[in-house]
Amino acid sequence: MWDSNVIVTGAAQTPFNRRKDGTGLRDWSADAFADAITMAQIEPAQIDALYVACESDFFSLQLNPSSILASELGLTGAAAMRCEGGGASGQMAVHAAVMAVQSGAVRHAAVIGVDPSASSLPGPAMRTLYGFSFDAWTDGMTGLTATALYALSWQMFAAKHGLSDAHLAEVTIQNRANACANPDAHLPRRDTAHDIDASPMIASPYRRLHCSPLSDGAAALIISHESATTRRGAPRIAGIGAATDHMHLGARTNPGDFAAKRLAMQRACSAAGIIPREIGLAEVYDAYAGAQLQALDALGLSDDLHADLEARAFAPGGRCPVNLSGGLMGQGAPVGATGVGQVATCARLLEGRYPSDLQPKLLPKYALADTHGGVCTSAVVTILQSRGAA
Amino acid sequence: MIAYNLSLEYTLQPGWMAPFIDGLREGRAVARVCASCARISFVPLRTCLCGGTSGTWKTLSGHAGIHTRTTGTDGDFALARFKGASGFATVRLADMPPEATLGILVPATGDLPQLILGPERTV
Repeated sequence: MWDSNVIVTGAAQTPFNRRKDGTGLRDWSADAFADAITMAQIEPAQIDALYVACESDFFSLQLNPSSILASELGLTGAAAMRCEGGGASGQMAVHAAVMAVQSGAVRHAAVIGVDPSASSLPGPAMRTLYGFSFDAWTDGMTGLTATALYALSWQMFAAKHGLSDAHLAEVTIQNRANACANPDAHLPRRDTAHDIDASPMIASPYRRLHCSPLSDGAAALIISHESATTRRGAPRIAGIGAATDHMHLGARTNPGDFAAKRLAMQRACSAAGIIPREIGLAEVYDAYAGAQLQALDALGLSDDLHADLEARAFAPGGRCPVNLSGGLMGQGAPVGATGVGQVATCARLLEGRYPSDLQPKLLPKYALADTHGGVCTSAVVTILQSRGAA
Repeated sequence: MIAYNLSLEYTLQPGWMAPFIDGLREGRAVARVCASCARISFVPLRTCLCGGTSGTWKTLSGHAGIHTRTTGTDGDFALARFKGASGFATVRLADMPPEATLGILVPATGDLPQLILGPERTV
């Protein structure tokens, strides 16, 4: 039985970028948490549990971040745990918090997503470490990179749907343009098709500008039971869904299809009692430009990508604006913070509080946050429901 | 700023995958044959798509067709279908011209279990 009385009372994030100010992940976590708990109108002592998403020990050099952050945030005594699932870690932490509040064991849960970009590590070392995000003993040891695996998957999807590099450019240009209205964005750029074509080829057809950056930053949420707060207007968690696919791209029936995302979305829609076309805006996991189009198909947000792109259905003001934040490609991607930030963005948009010129004047009823790990090996989605403007 | 240098040397045990891992080092494509449905997986699956968990090992010819290819800063990679196997495997391409459509598994370089597809040898 789905308990629909779980609400997002606090939502915040730091800028996602490459920090050169001497601050670290403890500072970013504290900043995001302070803003979220202020918005939630509660005190730290009211937090029963802390859920932390921090993807890689290699980057943070911290094997027990939930305990560290519990101390740093004044939450000692609260239950604390880390949730990890590659790029999906952030939304996995959100789901853990939602289910804890639904269980009745927790009245208010804090969720922190944080990661450093570890930009001091050399590029080849970073690519090697990220290669171990897949099957380390097959793909990783062979030297397959994330970009190469995504490129192979995209090509199979593009061949089936008749999509081309022009569609990759369209996504890239739109997401980075959206980021120009987001004061927290890593890459607010007015990219052109020429810029994209002139950027280095990373793994064909993906060029550097088709890729999301690795960023520094944190995001925070306060997830509460409606009975435990007097806060008004906080959006409801209408449904959550998660699913997995085969880790090996080659073992999948169709390596271009994000099947796990389709299944996760079906589960979330079932909980929410809606169909995908009722989603009014979405933050979609665009680790690469093509991944956004693969996601829109799998999430059921588009039955005809050609027609919907032509109609600008996913642009600001369209039928279902996608990645108004800029997405991973424009806003940036501190991995553990990504999924938490997506939910925070949806929550703030549904309350009319989003600090961007792209905040819709007419609030949609439902928003979708979509995250995945691997090449959509672990898919995690959350549907939020508006309860009116703040 | 805290500068920290970390150098680690791992020794990983391949467990049930040992025949596959050993085969890669020698350039042999050792696949898993499901005892329930006879599906042949390469890369081997411990649990078959049918749900079967028991199986036997079979050495394939190592010949593979290239289905989809990507080229970039870290080399050339492909989704390839090995003769006798179901599904695809993700492989590194070594010395494979852009027009090549067929290749054969070659011994891994160094001591790592790598899936490397090289040009088919002419007799």
